[in-house]
Amino acid sequence: MLGYVIRRILAVIPVMVIVAIFVFLLLRLTPGDPAAIIAGDSATPAQLERIRESLGLSEPLHVQFVTWVGNLAQGDLGTSIISSQPVTRLIGQRIWPTLQIGTLTILLSVLIAVPLGVLAAWRHRTWIDYAVMTFSVLGFSIPVFVIGYLFIKLFAIDLRWLPVQGYTSPSESVQGFLSRAILPCLTLATIYVALIARMTRASLLEVLGEDYVRTARAKGVKEHIVLFRHALRNAAVPIMTIIGTGFALLISGVVVTESVFNIPGIGRLTVDAILARDYPVIQAMILLTSAIYVFVNLLIDLSYTLFDPRIRY
Amino acid sequence: MLFRNRHFDDKPVALEILGLSVATAGDDPVPILNAIDVTIREGETVCLVGESGSGKSVTSLAVMGLLPKGALEVTAGRIELEGQNLLDLDASQMRELRAQRISMIFQEPMTALNPVMKVGDQIEEVLDSHTKLPAKEKKRRVVDIMQQVHLPDVERIYGSYPHQLSGGQRQRIMIAMALILEPKLLIADEPTTALDVTTQNQVLKLIAELQESHGTAVLFITHDMGVVAEIADTVYVMRNGDIVESAAVETLLRSPQKDYTRRLLEAVPSLVPRDARPESWADPVLSVDGLTKIYDTRGFFKKGRETKAAQDVKFRIKPGRTLGIVGESGSGKSTVARCVMRLIDPTEGRIRVGQTDIAKLARGELQPHRKHIQIVFQDPFRSLNPRWTVGDSLIEGPLNFGQSKAEAMKHAAELMELVGLPADALGRYPHQFSGGQRQRIAIARAIAMRPDILVADEAVSALDVSVQAQVLKLLDELQEKLGIAILFITHDLRVAAQICDEVVVMQHGRIVEHDTAENVLSQPSHAYTRALIEAAPGRHWDFAKFRELSLHQTETA
Repeated sequence: MLGYVIRRILAVIPVMVIVAIFVFLLLRLTPGDPAAIIAGDSATPAQLERIRESLGLSEPLHVQFVTWVGNLAQGDLGTSIISSQPVTRLIGQRIWPTLQIGTLTILLSVLIAVPLGVLAAWRHRTWIDYAVMTFSVLGFSIPVFVIGYLFIKLFAIDLRWLPVQGYTSPSESVQGFLSRAILPCLTLATIYVALIARMTRASLLEVLGEDYVRTARAKGVKEHIVLFRHALRNAAVPIMTIIGTGFALLISGVVVTESVFNIPGIGRLTVDAILARDYPVIQAMILLTSAIYVFVNLLIDLSYTLFDPRIRY
Repeated sequence: MLFRNRHFDDKPVALEILGLSVATAGDDPVPILNAIDVTIREGETVCLVGESGSGKSVTSLAVMGLLPKGALEVTAGRIELEGQNLLDLDASQMRELRAQRISMIFQEPMTALNPVMKVGDQIEEVLDSHTKLPAKEKKRRVVDIMQQVHLPDVERIYGSYPHQLSGGQRQRIMIAMALILEPKLLIADEPTTALDVTTQNQVLKLIAELQESHGTAVLFITHDMGVVAEIADTVYVMRNGDIVESAAVETLLRSPQKDYTRRLLEAVPSLVPRDARPESWADPVLSVDGLTKIYDTRGFFKKGRETKAAQDVKFRIKPGRTLGIVGESGSGKSTVARCVMRLIDPTEGRIRVGQTDIAKLARGELQPHRKHIQIVFQDPFRSLNPRWTVGDSLIEGPLNFGQSKAEAMKHAAELMELVGLPADALGRYPHQFSGGQRQRIAIARAIAMRPDILVADEAVSALDVSVQAQVLKLLDELQEKLGIAILFITHDLRVAAQICDEVVVMQHGRIVEHDTAENVLSQPSHAYTRALIEAAPGRHWDFAKFRELSLHQTETA
């Protein structure tokens, strides 16, 4: 068991090394002079020189890499070209809204999607099942920004239940935070709910045909216990897997949602950095999102052992 | 005493099935059960026997109220448990009744237990669902029933998961679960079919013992006449949803009234080996020497552990001869078959096919030798590609060895007739055939390569006895015509007795006995072989001749 955990954690290292190499090369291998790309068309030779200097572009590639990794190890992600602030500070200022909304979205999605999926599987081939599946297809196919604007139109403008956009930190006012976070969370959750509900339904349908479900019924176990204790736990591994891989959707969704709802998070930071060709920030964002993605999937892998005692490699 | 010979006429009726009909649901119902009547009295064991599709499992599920919703439904009749018609009960009343008054155990204890729950909790769940006992009392009851089913080291097993237990232990857990609330009726649906003979014997004894002490009525579903002879008081023979015949066990086995019953009994292979064939002087086509397969489970952080699946296995087979390897699960018999096929790589030893040692050949070098040795697997439902026509499956091998498609198809048509199927069925898909027909196709596919050696890995174990007899006959005829050597892997001594010239008995990866079929089955020299033969159910009865085995044979067989 411990061996499995350690091995799984060690396996993260090569993934992160490859991501780091890719991120490093992203700028250096772009055709042409990276400094010129960063500085844009109207740069003066002096500006170009300054940029080269700050990125250490005149050194040989491997020396640059060692310096870059060395800085990285010390938590130095470089300096933003646009605002001249350390990238770590920029991220530090912007990450909390995103983490709060992201966590809330995942909680909300799982709490909505899993019961929906169970219901659809339990009432297989009835109108409930068809309704859940229809919702699921819609959730997949409507773009995130469309859902966002629809929610704003409906709940904020027409019904006036919630503020249109903006962000309040929960440390200032929990109510203010929730009232502003709920629409972005629902927007982000739609596609995620669709995905998880579908997987829950499929996985549960398979498990409901298993012999041990028949055994549980033959024991006279109540139907909700059959569903949640016997079936769902056995169906959990694929559901957890999809929650993990679907996390990528969340990351891309964050970028759009933060723009729609005007939330000062790292999604907006990323968009701004891309538009301004602020390479140090872009690099840091790729590293950060990859690290989060890998970490979440590590947690998911480790969670398998909680659901299934047979998985203890 | 040959049979249990108990009488129940004065006992109260536990379960009475009256005119029960079941059909498929929907607009176009197909009848599955046709007005069947069954009576079971307190303490009695009633066996429901029949081949697959006869409706015996449907009967049991109907009694439990567990017919698959939307697929099957009761169309007429009554199911009375101590005078109360179960068909009048609603879902929650029916749920209350399960495990309290009727319980059920199933064929495959591995899949019938929840793999992610501790077995102790699974037993306790029965008490949770039907009683309001304090935690301590529940634990006491669970431990008590676990002791009654003779599980060793109860505290440890209580906290174990199903995959940590043996097949026999898992079935004991199922029985404990079924009997903890002392139900009136226990339904056992092929509860020993997936178990080894020695384990089967123990489980059958356990059921009989608990039945005796609790006075439970048992409805026992089986296809195995040996088991019937061992445990039944009364037997009902089923076919296509009808009860063909019912009688006390001895009456039925001695003087069956109906043709179908006679044929069913005649198909049961005898434990008395067939007559020896004359000695062959040809050179062996397959010789295996010192074959060893060791599985190394070495972890990154764990210390390595070796599992010796097969050790120093040695045998040879001559053309036109059949060598059987018998043994229980885990004895290494399938490992040997797979090594011989080179589906897995042996750790050590020689496998000579004709003149070539194939044990150490690399994948590429092996290719030309593959056609000399072919295999037929156990489950014909899974060994044929469901998306390929039978013709595609049959010609795949020959095409790989350079035959033209037209030629291969022509040969395939001949093969179909050789295995007793119409040649024009080549364009059909596997699901359009019955289990026995599919196994014929699997055999045709194997011999399409014109092999010298055919490996049959439990090739008739999944088939009904009547079909089994036909497939064994087919193998015999093919051997006669084509002079193939057969390596026959089986757990079933009766089958081995009917087809093998020589028998190898394996235990824990080693050969413990190797002799002619006659000697192994009539004068076993190893204690393990004797234990296997003694555990074979119904071994004193000659089913096909409707009488006990003659004295001489009973002593030795």
